[in-house]
Amino acid sequence: MMPKFKILNEIREIETIASGRGVYIRRHLERTYGRGRWRKMKGIATVELPNGEICEAEIHWYEAHGIGRRDFKIKKVIQ
Amino acid sequence: MNEFVLCINNEGNPASLIVGKVYRKLPDPEAESRHMLRIIDEDMSEVDGYLYPASMFVPVELPEEAKRVLMTLDR
Repeated sequence: MMPKFKILNEIREIETIASGRGVYIRRHLERTYGRGRWRKMKGIATVELPNGEICEAEIHWYEAHGIGRRDFKIKKVIQ
Repeated sequence: MNEFVLCINNEGNPASLIVGKVYRKLPDPEAESRHMLRIIDEDMSEVDGYLYPASMFVPVELPEEAKRVLMTLDR
């Protein structure tokens, strides 16, 4: 499934925000995608918003080895 | 002023949003001008929520008692 915004280039400034028990929605992630060492990540990317606007945004997502990156979402638009 | 919305589409975010569940919307006129809403989703550790396409939700008016209860769920 694709998010309703598009990531147009490589994500940069990638950091881990939380891991293990620190991932608040760990149970939702396991129920939806499977068990794994889920980490919550953040980074900056150029995105296309639902209104067609192209801008820089801080995006967050969850990822686990063997499962990949899931549930991309926009934290904030960077002016 | 706080408002609540009902999720009608969680495509792309099935772990962060549950279809049929009511979420709190935070005021963010800038996001709304971009057809997006700032929502406190299942990841309630994020007190200022995330931006989602407005088309994934519909507004709902809740009874005062329900609003009070849902507000107490905020972290």
